Amino acid sequence: MTEVATPPLVVASIEAVENPSFDEGMESEIKRILERYPEGDSGAALLPVLWLCQERWGWISPGVMRAVGQRLDLSPAFVESVTSFYTMYMLRPPGKYLLQVCTTLSCQLCGTSGLVEHLKEKLGIDFGETTADGRFTLVDVQCLGACGEAPVVQINNDYYTDLTADSLDEILDGLDG
Amino acid sequence: MTIEPILLAARGVKNSRTLASYLDRGGYKALTKAVAMDPAKVIDEVKTSGVRGRGGAGFPAGVKWSFVPRDLPKPKYMICNADESEPGTFKDRELILVDPHEVLEGIAIASYAIDAHTAYIYIRGEFVREAEILERAIAEARDKNYLGKDIVGSGYDLEVHVHRGAGAYICGEETALIESIEGKRGLPRLKPPFPAVVGVFGCPTVVNNVETLACIPHIIERGGAWFATIGTERSTGTKLFCVSGHVERPGVYEAPMGTTFREIIEGFCGGIRNGGKLKAFIPGGSSAPILPADRIDTPADFESVAEAGSMLGSGGVIVMDDTVDMVWALENLLTFYAHESCGQCTPCREGSDWALDVVRRIRRGYGHAGDLETLHRIARFASQGMTICPLGDAFCLPISSFLEHFGGEFEAAIAAAEKRAATFLPILPVRSDHALFESEEAS
Amino acid sequence: MVTFTIDGQSVTVAEGTNLIEAALKVGVEIPTYCYHPGLSVVGRCRICFVEIEGMPRLVTACSTPVQDEMVVFTASERVREARAAVMEFLLENHPLDCPVCDQAGECGLQDYSVEHGLDSTHMIDVRRTFPGLERRAIGPHVIQNQNRCIHCTRCVRFTTEISETADLAMKSRGNHSYIDTFDGTPLDNPWSACVADVCPVGALTVKEFRFRARVWHLEETETVCPGCSIGCNVDLGHLDGVIHRFVPRANAEINGWWMCDYGRFLADGLNSREIDAPLRRTEDGECAVSWESAMATLATLLRAAPKPLVVASANFSNEALYSVKRNLQESAEIMVVVPIQSGDQRRIRNARGEWIDSVDAHSNSTGARHLDLTLVDGVALESYIRDGDGPLLILDAHAHPWLETEAAAAAVAGRPTAVLARGRTPIVDTASLVLPLASWAETEGTYTSSTGIVQLARQALPPAGQARPPWEVLHSLARHLGHEQERIMSPRLLFAEMAAEIGAFAGMTFGRLKTEPGMPVHEEARGVG
Repeated sequence: MTEVATPPLVVASIEAVENPSFDEGMESEIKRILERYPEGDSGAALLPVLWLCQERWGWISPGVMRAVGQRLDLSPAFVESVTSFYTMYMLRPPGKYLLQVCTTLSCQLCGTSGLVEHLKEKLGIDFGETTADGRFTLVDVQCLGACGEAPVVQINNDYYTDLTADSLDEILDGLDG
Repeated sequence: MTIEPILLAARGVKNSRTLASYLDRGGYKALTKAVAMDPAKVIDEVKTSGVRGRGGAGFPAGVKWSFVPRDLPKPKYMICNADESEPGTFKDRELILVDPHEVLEGIAIASYAIDAHTAYIYIRGEFVREAEILERAIAEARDKNYLGKDIVGSGYDLEVHVHRGAGAYICGEETALIESIEGKRGLPRLKPPFPAVVGVFGCPTVVNNVETLACIPHIIERGGAWFATIGTERSTGTKLFCVSGHVERPGVYEAPMGTTFREIIEGFCGGIRNGGKLKAFIPGGSSAPILPADRIDTPADFESVAEAGSMLGSGGVIVMDDTVDMVWALENLLTFYAHESCGQCTPCREGSDWALDVVRRIRRGYGHAGDLETLHRIARFASQGMTICPLGDAFCLPISSFLEHFGGEFEAAIAAAEKRAATFLPILPVRSDHALFESEEAS
Repeated sequence: MVTFTIDGQSVTVAEGTNLIEAALKVGVEIPTYCYHPGLSVVGRCRICFVEIEGMPRLVTACSTPVQDEMVVFTASERVREARAAVMEFLLENHPLDCPVCDQAGECGLQDYSVEHGLDSTHMIDVRRTFPGLERRAIGPHVIQNQNRCIHCTRCVRFTTEISETADLAMKSRGNHSYIDTFDGTPLDNPWSACVADVCPVGALTVKEFRFRARVWHLEETETVCPGCSIGCNVDLGHLDGVIHRFVPRANAEINGWWMCDYGRFLADGLNSREIDAPLRRTEDGECAVSWESAMATLATLLRAAPKPLVVASANFSNEALYSVKRNLQESAEIMVVVPIQSGDQRRIRNARGEWIDSVDAHSNSTGARHLDLTLVDGVALESYIRDGDGPLLILDAHAHPWLETEAAAAAVAGRPTAVLARGRTPIVDTASLVLPLASWAETEGTYTSSTGIVQLARQALPPAGQARPPWEVLHSLARHLGHEQERIMSPRLLFAEMAAEIGAFAGMTFGRLKTEPGMPVHEEARGVG
């Protein structure tokens, strides 16, 4: 389904997100987000604001949680509690390309395990790990909701479907940087 | 049994996602008609259609809408559930990719019927491109006054916002979804109260699936009675069947309710791939009990599938041929549920992980004589109201149905393990099996 | 009001009462973990299932308000099976830590296992663990063992709803969820140890109590915290003369189910005692003396002109202060003062969620006011002492921080001084007469909270060594001064005399204070203190 090569993630270093602040652009986006919800329920902005931060910095560090908590009047412990519930928020910096391999039944029935062996060997890493050059992070995920085109791998924001070891190789080699 | 597609009529149409294309195909006529009607009449029409929730629960949508207390002086909310995370289900994504305006129109009509002026589309976090498509469609619709203030000059206002999830299947459960919108962990709520009375932000809320809402414009346009002529008496209309697994042509197929699984699997999908033989199929997403091949002539409607011992659910059909090891398959599904359990209530939090441990151990060759009894016990006590939400039932039904229809494979694996164990561990207690089990895990 | 049936018994309760509370009214105890009367209902542990006639599924009692004519069964076959199953699920990953776990003896899992669980488990797989969170100091007073956690979230709700510090949260999801603070910050709010109280198991335990004693060996005495004027109710746990811990005792009006860390950790301090026998100092040196001899000496000291100054204590019970008033203040020649220090601000929440603030650092300044004693602050106390040149009777060496300083000792140097004490202070080391003072835990007494409630603190231990409580010393002194005949005296008798004489205590008796949680002082006296 993806025509244009997936761009790499923008990932901030640990130091950069120790004490982050929202720039003007982010602040106006936060205001736009808050307008979607009733005034007394600004907590509803939490998930969208976390997404905004992850788009900007690549992951949600404790510093980001503190900043978000302050901005939305939520305790940092609460922000961390919510962030850690949802698997898509990165709590550690990922590589440039997050390879999310669906390992649920329909994909497995169509050959995911072979794909996984191939990936692990090619990249030299296991699930949950990042290549030494910081290019690829490999994670196993649950059903991606594209089972008719199995096997499916999501790379950053894009779905790659009907994969074989060869087509996956081609895709990975075609990625920038 | 085939008829002209209704929900996915725009398949193959160039630029079908655009407003121009949608208008060209008669789009937003239903909305224009609806906002000139008495909202109660809109609800009546939907009730007459008999359309039932296509997210899995199968609750009549019109009845759900009528639970909203209009007179309560609180804002009402419409939520479109686009969380689509049930394994084997991929129809909502198809609808959004092919015809997002159809979904928006359904949302708008539903919102009007329940007097909501704000609607949220809760879409799973992984559907990034799909969320962008919806936002573009919303912008187009607002631009031409089909959303926003004073819709088509009717005086009715509605804002629709996209709210992205972040990776949690449990947020497909309507009260967990509501918690997630409110910015909290997606933990299902205790019921009562039900969302129609106390929902998002404490206000009356209706949550409907994408496919259910996609039916609405057609129902208003062509009448509830017309919709009810399609399908069966109590399962009306067409259904999007998403077929995956060992078929020649997996994909989303629209057909009237009541089409048999044989027509779907062998007809639409070309039968088992590579000339294989059907062993089993899960008819309605992984939470539905598995059915053996001999149930293939079951009509795909809520009642018939229930009678056959399963659930129509989301209509996600997972097809397995005879190369599939059922112990492996159950382990795969339990991995999913253990991963997705929110952790709130004891039977699901503990039971899902425990069941997974047992099945994994059986699959690795370290099964034990008491294991099946353990699995049955877990399945019995993590379902049927023991848990706060149906995720308990969602992992218990696979356990009991796999054991019912394919128990022999489990027994064989356990017997083989016991035989092996007997040859070199004659006097050690079961726990020593774990030393072996752990060392295998390390390799 | 609503009337319904539970296990065949008819109950009438207020509308909206949940089934747990309603059942308790007829002595039916439904097991609970996540439910706590002081916290919000979450219905997540699933142990409190009951069967309701006409309902196809079991319901959780905590989240079910009673309805008219409901018929409830708490021990039917279905309910017992469900409970046994939930117990098995809870114990499935729970470590077999009982031999090394402080919670043993007051553990929800142990208690309900015996009553409601199975004899064995079907679980033979490896239990999940949380490496790094198995004996971790999550705060200065609380130790965490996440392996034991049953995910009831009482601790999280305490920090969100009661202390409002929001320091604890559940992280991750499913069976891997765990309790933690944000980013390594310690759990350090004024009531932090309360999370160990509410934790039904040994996942959160009190560091100061770790491995000290098995709770079933402890004797528990119902008493009142001496830490400030609020008067939180306390259970004092002791064994063989050693005080091991305070835990809060429920009191709806004053402290709900809670107490602050400061008060709680005064417990251990009660075990130290440096003065345990009467001691007399002269130019010739020190010598131990008998109480009789010491009392005679003291009487002589007080009769000697000029005006003696008596420093009482706002930490004394009403009976002790009444004794002071009756035996000393009434004499025109003797000046009695009660020093007050405001101390750190403390607060606690009662069962209605109302915050109660301390007014000073003493357990009975209010009692002293009701008895019309002269209250002075540290500055005034110093003035009184410096301005006089007569003998001094300091009834409590620890009555005020200034009294414990070198400056205070210097101020009284050269004057005949008698002091009652437990520990050494500069004044104790130079006074002419030193008498061992029993602690408040070594005597029975009533104390009046700053909210005007009179509460009874029972005696936990006999006085150590030769220590005596202040009321007894004053009674003996009165005899030696010639005011009193030889007669039996006790806090109960003193209280009865006090209640007859002082309007604030009118109508109260010791007997009633033993059965009722506390009695408010008489309306007219309310404005005082």
